[in-house]
Formats: sequence, structure tokens, C-alpha cells
Amino acid sequence: MFTLLVALLIFSVVNYFISKASWRVGSIINALIGSYLIFQVFTIPKGTEVTIGKFLGETLALQWTNAGFYFSFVSLLVIVAVMFFAIKWLDSQKHPAAFNMFILMVTAGSLGVFMAKDLITLYIFWEIAVLSSMLIIPMGKKESRKAAVVYAVMSAVGTYMFLYGAFMIYSRYGTFSMPEIAKNLANDPSTSFKVAVVLLIAAAGIAKSGIFPLHTWLRIAHGNAPDAFSAVLSGQLVKLGSYVLMISVAVFPSLKIFANLKLYSGVPAPNYFLIALGAASIIIGTLMAIKQDDMKMLIAYSSVANGGYILVGIGTMDPLGFEGGVLHVFNHALAAAVIFMAFASVVYRTHTKKISELGGLIHKMPITYIAYLFAIISLAGIPPMSGFISKWMIYQALVRKGMFITAAIAFFGSIGSFLYVFRPLAGVFLGQLPRKYKDVKEVPPIMWIPMLVLVAISFVMGVWPFPILQPIENMRADFGIAPSFKIADAQNWLVRGFSGSWNPVIVFNLFITGFIVAYILYTLFPKPKKVDLLKPHKEEGAPINIYTSGEFIYTPELYHYNTKFYAGFERMYEKHPSWEKLLYMLAKFFHDVGEWIHGWFFRPSPSAYTFWLAMTILIIFWVRW
Amino acid sequence: MTAVYKAILNLVIAFFFVISLEGIARKITARIQRRIGPPWYQNFIDIFKALSKHPFSNGWIFDFGVLMALGGAIATAAIIPMGSTFWTPFPNTDNFFVIMYLFAVGSLGMAMGMVGSGSPWSAIGVSRALTQMLGYELPYLVVMSSVMYMYKTSSIHLLIEKQATNGWNLYVMPIGAIVAFISLIGMLGKKPFDIAVAPAEIASGPMAELSGKYMGLLQIMHAFSIFVEVGLFVDLFLGGGSLGWFLVKFIVVWVLATLISSVLPRFRIEQMLKFYWGVPLGLAFLNALFVLLGWTF
Repeated sequence: MFTLLVALLIFSVVNYFISKASWRVGSIINALIGSYLIFQVFTIPKGTEVTIGKFLGETLALQWTNAGFYFSFVSLLVIVAVMFFAIKWLDSQKHPAAFNMFILMVTAGSLGVFMAKDLITLYIFWEIAVLSSMLIIPMGKKESRKAAVVYAVMSAVGTYMFLYGAFMIYSRYGTFSMPEIAKNLANDPSTSFKVAVVLLIAAAGIAKSGIFPLHTWLRIAHGNAPDAFSAVLSGQLVKLGSYVLMISVAVFPSLKIFANLKLYSGVPAPNYFLIALGAASIIIGTLMAIKQDDMKMLIAYSSVANGGYILVGIGTMDPLGFEGGVLHVFNHALAAAVIFMAFASVVYRTHTKKISELGGLIHKMPITYIAYLFAIISLAGIPPMSGFISKWMIYQALVRKGMFITAAIAFFGSIGSFLYVFRPLAGVFLGQLPRKYKDVKEVPPIMWIPMLVLVAISFVMGVWPFPILQPIENMRADFGIAPSFKIADAQNWLVRGFSGSWNPVIVFNLFITGFIVAYILYTLFPKPKKVDLLKPHKEEGAPINIYTSGEFIYTPELYHYNTKFYAGFERMYEKHPSWEKLLYMLAKFFHDVGEWIHGWFFRPSPSAYTFWLAMTILIIFWVRW
Repeated sequence: MTAVYKAILNLVIAFFFVISLEGIARKITARIQRRIGPPWYQNFIDIFKALSKHPFSNGWIFDFGVLMALGGAIATAAIIPMGSTFWTPFPNTDNFFVIMYLFAVGSLGMAMGMVGSGSPWSAIGVSRALTQMLGYELPYLVVMSSVMYMYKTSSIHLLIEKQATNGWNLYVMPIGAIVAFISLIGMLGKKPFDIAVAPAEIASGPMAELSGKYMGLLQIMHAFSIFVEVGLFVDLFLGGGSLGWFLVKFIVVWVLATLISSVLPRFRIEQMLKFYWGVPLGLAFLNALFVLLGWTF
């Protein structure tokens, strides 16, 4: 395993030079390596352990667990799809060679995080993933340099808290290894220490998966990163955060550690705190996503909301909630990746990401549209796509626990997701095609095949979810969350909840039957005449035959309703307080203080420098004595 | 195999029974407004007339959306239990959330097809319909959560059975039943919540471009939707019983909703949201609190 990671890191540099010669060869090699890695993760036997070095007298090691396998597999699905997508998409980018290098580094870093057995190894690979992704973000538009800085700062806030927590643990128990820490924490009498440590470790996850107080970077980074890389950011890198959150509540068994801190229906207080943050993210993400005009920022906010779902699910530590949260990682990864790739395709052809400037692209890019449609069905949690299963599980857990307020927020986020995913659907793909896009073409197959493959996987897992549920069941057994309770019942084709089950195959069959019956009814009755929505584009001055209360349409884009789509609702929270503005005010405050100090201490005059030099020496001497 | 026959019976009842009821509702509204009104079978005439005319199609997504809407509604109507375990076509799959989300397939199909027609009226109507969904679903789902929490099951036929021993939920948690009924009116899109259609403002909204068989098929879809919405309410709050009793309760709920809606004017969008997120949502949480404390009848 370690050789694999090191080989990946070394080859990423080699690939930079290959890509300098021909970036297309480099990106094809990338895609092949990625595909090989997907097969590779299946071959590593569970429980394999490799020692990689020593730190403070502690051995650092990698360990291949069920959780690591699941997260690595999901990550690789997303990354490989984007690698294939990039083979063609990269010709719209300025730095394809660097992109090829850094995306391999991101892969190596993320795999390392999922393989790490101790907190320091995890931290090292975490930084590799974060830094290499941070270097991809500025390749986008002008705004994206600032985006990279915001991303780095937010990420640093999380990782420093994580490191602080790790060293607090080390100074008390003398170990970094996670299984050891879990054992020690379970027997530790000091409650305040345990709460502090778990929340400090969770802070890295909160920052990375865009949970409430540290969510602001998602909008900026996802919105401004190179278009295809947003798919990796939202589909894969954010899931590193979910992994760390899972470590902080499940690998460190919070039900045992906080057995005397149960707050309400068996959920410990620190978990409840995390769930509250997750719920806040659902509300913020949903409300903000509904009013975005920039389609990438819209889905970035939806990632905030879905990160909230994952945290709420995992935080309950209920068998259903935990599995729902972990399965939501898979569902959101695939859906978000396809959505961002679909948007990247749109931007690739039209060079804009403003919903209000687009429209009617279904006539020109039908395959991208189909991919987007199925991805949003999964994201909104509608059967027969797999997104429904995880939402169903999370609801079951919340209802079973009687957590009505969190459940209401989860319902709000779910119905709200219908609203925000429909906005690009209506504004970008449906409706009237603006005149300037009349020569837009569908993207080439190498770009739409990865999207359709991911959509197909999500679809198959929605109809027959047992292959993906089984690893999660294994994980749950590893963490000892009600291991006797079986959710995936493949023999009877059932997904079981608390005294209530459903059969995904029946649901799918019903859906197909309904569709066939509808189609038969449809064919029984007279054939329609076609209304050609593209007529004004073909013939100058030809009107379209649609209802406009008595006017002919000569400029179709004026009849496209996509600006302020939910005006009636948006108006209700126009004057909302903004966390982001507050953070910027803080940033400005520190900036001003810095300017002031700068002005005082670094006066560009030799006498000031001499003065401060003397002062420093004096202080040093004073401290010495 | 019996499951399939039962599912087909569901659809047959949903078609004939609900479309008759829609006709009766027109009659009731007319009598309240001191008109004579159309005969009770008027909706059958309307649908078959629409189906037989030559329609216009606004592109493949328009066709696909209509098929998806009708298909989703058929699939959902086929799962709904009709008042007893015997009349439950798929006892393993009649989970509440499965039904709610399968139902969303139809709504999404309709929304997609109608916006795909290229008419701005349709897009405006769909944006209103989705906003309204945000309004009524929230109190409804909170009430349903408290029902499911109380009986420790989310399977609808089990909830019906529990009511047989425990008494109708209408009496066990009257506040919850009232909130669910208010949400039901919004779900049915009846006045004062016919914001999405609003014939006087946005030319029937989503339906602006429908002609011929598209109109007919979506009217059938509407009938199936009504069957799902009212059927769920009857199953969850008015106890079980024979098939006949189920239909009688169905008629009572439907007529009550019609009576209320025929005397009320229309809300604006934000008025609707403020209404649903005000008193009904508050009462839904109150109901949940009562269930948590065990203060049920």
C-alpha cells in the first residue's frame, strides 16, 4: 500500500514532464492509472498493515479497513470519471500539465488519508491532498486566486485544531494510533478532556466538509475552481471531511465514550452539538442555494446542505442513521460529480456559468441534459435513484429517535433541494434557447461517457443497493453500532428500517410499469403535431406557436423565465444576516490591525529599525535573566 | 400474483371513483355559488374529449415529462393501501417515505415537461408549485413523523392496524389530524392554495401549453394524485375498515376539502408560506411534543 502511494506521488511529478511534452498523453495515462487503482482497491486484503516510519518514538502505519475501502472506492469513482472527462476538457485550460500532476497528488493524498492508521499519517496525507488541490483552484478565473487563499485559511483552521487535538491525545496516552486512542478514550474518566479532544478532531472534518461555521469556503472555492475540478472538490475532497467526522464519532465510539453524557434519546451531547451544526448547514445551504444565479455556486451551497445530511446521519450513531450518512457520501459524491461535470460541459461550450444568460440547451446538448436530470433525481432523493435510499435511512433514524426538529430541518432541506436543483434544469437546459447559442454543439463522447457511467452506477445502486450496502454493513459491524441489526436483506430483496421495510426492486418495477402503461395510453391516442421551439433560429422573423396571450415571439430569449426563479420565496429572506460578511468584517479588522502594526514597527526609516532591534535584544536579555 | 390484481384494482378505483368525485366537487362548488353546475360525469366527458383531439407537442422532453408524470402517479397509486391489510398490494413496500418520494417522481416529471414546453407561464407556475410544496410538506411531514414515532412503524398497513386497537388518529391526536388536513388542501392544490394554477393570473400556469391528449393524460394523473393524497390521509388518520368504509371516508374528506375551498379566495405565494410555517407548523411541533410526553387520547 505504501509503495502504491509513494509511486503515485513520484509518478505525479514524472507525469508533469510527460504532460509538458503532450498534455493529452499525460491525461490519458492519468485516466489509465486511475482505472487501475479502482481494481487495485478490491485486491488489497482487509486488515493489511504497513509501517511507514517513526515519529516521536511512535510507529506510523497504514491499515486497510472496511471504511478505508469504501471511501477509497467512492473517491476513485469520482476522480477517475473526472480524469476521463479531462482528456478532452483540458484543452480549454491554461495549465493542463500542472492539472495532471496535482490531480494525481490529490488521489494519492486522499487514498493515504483513508488508509492511515494513526492521526499523524492521516494529517500528512491530508495536507498533501489539501495543498495539491489548493494549487489547482487558482487555475480557474480571476477570482480563483482569492478562492484558494480562503480555502487554505479555512482548511488550516480545521487542521490546526486537529493537530492540537492529536497532540493533546499524545501527551495523555502516548500514542497516535486510532484503535489505541479509541480504547483509551473509552476508559478515560475526564469528560472535559474527551469532549475537547473529540471536537478538536472533528474540527478538521467540519472545515473540510463545509459544515456551518466554516462553510464559506465552499461557495468561493467550488464556484471559482476550474470547472471539472469542482466535481472532484465537491464529490471527493469534501468527503475527506466526512471521513474525519466519522472517525471522531464512530471510530472513537462516542456512545461508549460519552455514555454518561446522553442528552436526548440516547444521543450524546457532543454528537448533538455536531448534529446541530449539521442542521444549521442544511438550512443555510438550502436557502442560499435557492437564490444563487451562478449555477456552480448553487451546487456548492447544496454541497453544504448535503454535508449537513451526512453529519446528521453519522452523528445520530443509530444503525440506520449511520448507514444513511455513510451511504449519502456515495450518493452525493456521484450526483455532485455528475452535476459539476455537466456544468463544466455547459461552460466548455457556452463560456458562462450564469443561469440568467443560458437557456434551452436541451436542444443542443441532450446527453448532458439526461446526465444532469438523473443526477438531480438522485440528489433530490427521488426513487429509483440511489439518493433516495440514504435519505430514507436518515429519516428513519431521526423519526425513530424522535428528533423532530432535526427531522423537520432535514425535510426542509429535502424539499428545498427540489427547488434548487430545478432552477438550473429550467434555466439552463429547458425553455428558450438564446440566439447567441444557436451554433452550440453537444460535447464529445469522452466527456459525456464518464457522466453517464456515474449516473448508471447510481441508478443500478438505486434498484439493487445491496452491493454498496454490504461494505457499509461491514463498517457498522467494525464500529460495533448494533451489529445484530441487519438493514440490507439481499435474500428477501428488502431494505429494512425500524419495523418497516421496502423493496427497491418492486419500487423500480412499479415505476417502469407505470411508465409503460402511460406510454401505451400515449400511443393509443392521435399523434401530435410538432411545435418547433427553434424556429426563430432557423428562419429570421418566424414566430413560435406557443401561448403568449396574443403576441408573436420573435425574440425567444425574452420569453425565458430564469432570473429570480423563486422571486416570491427569495423576497422573504432578502435581508438575512450573513455569516460570510461577519467573517469578512473580522478579516478586515485583523487586516487593519496588521496595517497599523506594520506602520508602527516597519517604518521605512533606519532609526526605527535600529530602535526595534535594540528593543528586541533588550527583551531577549530580560527574558534570559 | 394477487399483489398485481390488487394494484390493478387500486388503479381502477382511482380512475373511476376519483374522476366521479371530481365531477361531484364541481357540482358542489356550483351549488354553493348558486349555479346548477355540470353533471357528475362531466370530467369523464372532458377527459375523453381531450384524449380524442389532435394535440400539439413542444418537443421530446414535453412528451417525456408527461409520461413520467403519469407513470409516477400510476406507480404511487398502485402502492396505496385501501383501509386494511387485505387491500394492501405490497405489504413490504408501503413505507410512508417511499410513497411520498415516489409521488415526487410524478411532480418532477410534470414540472420538467411543462417547463420544457418553452412557455414562460409554465415556468412561473412550476416555480410557484415547488414553493408551495416547501410550504405544505413541512407541517405535514412533522405530523407524520410524530405518528410514526408514536406507533414505532412507518409501514402504512401496520399504522392502520394499530389504529384498529388504539382508536382513530383523528381522536388520538386531533391537532395533528387538523394540521395534516390543512396540508392536504395545499397538496390537492385547492383554493386558497391554487397558487400554481391561478387561471386568472398566469393562464393556468403549468397547463398553459397542454392540448389534446396531453391535457387528458395529465387529468388522469391528477386523479391518481388525488387518490394518493386523500387515501394517505384516510389511512393514517381515519382508521381502517372494509373497502366500502375506506371509500365512504374518502368521500367525506374530499367533500369537506371541496366545501372549504369553494368559499375561500387565493393566497399570494409569501402569504401561503407564512401561513404554513406559522400556525400549522407550530401546531405540528406541539403535536410532536404531546406525542413525546405521551399526552395522547
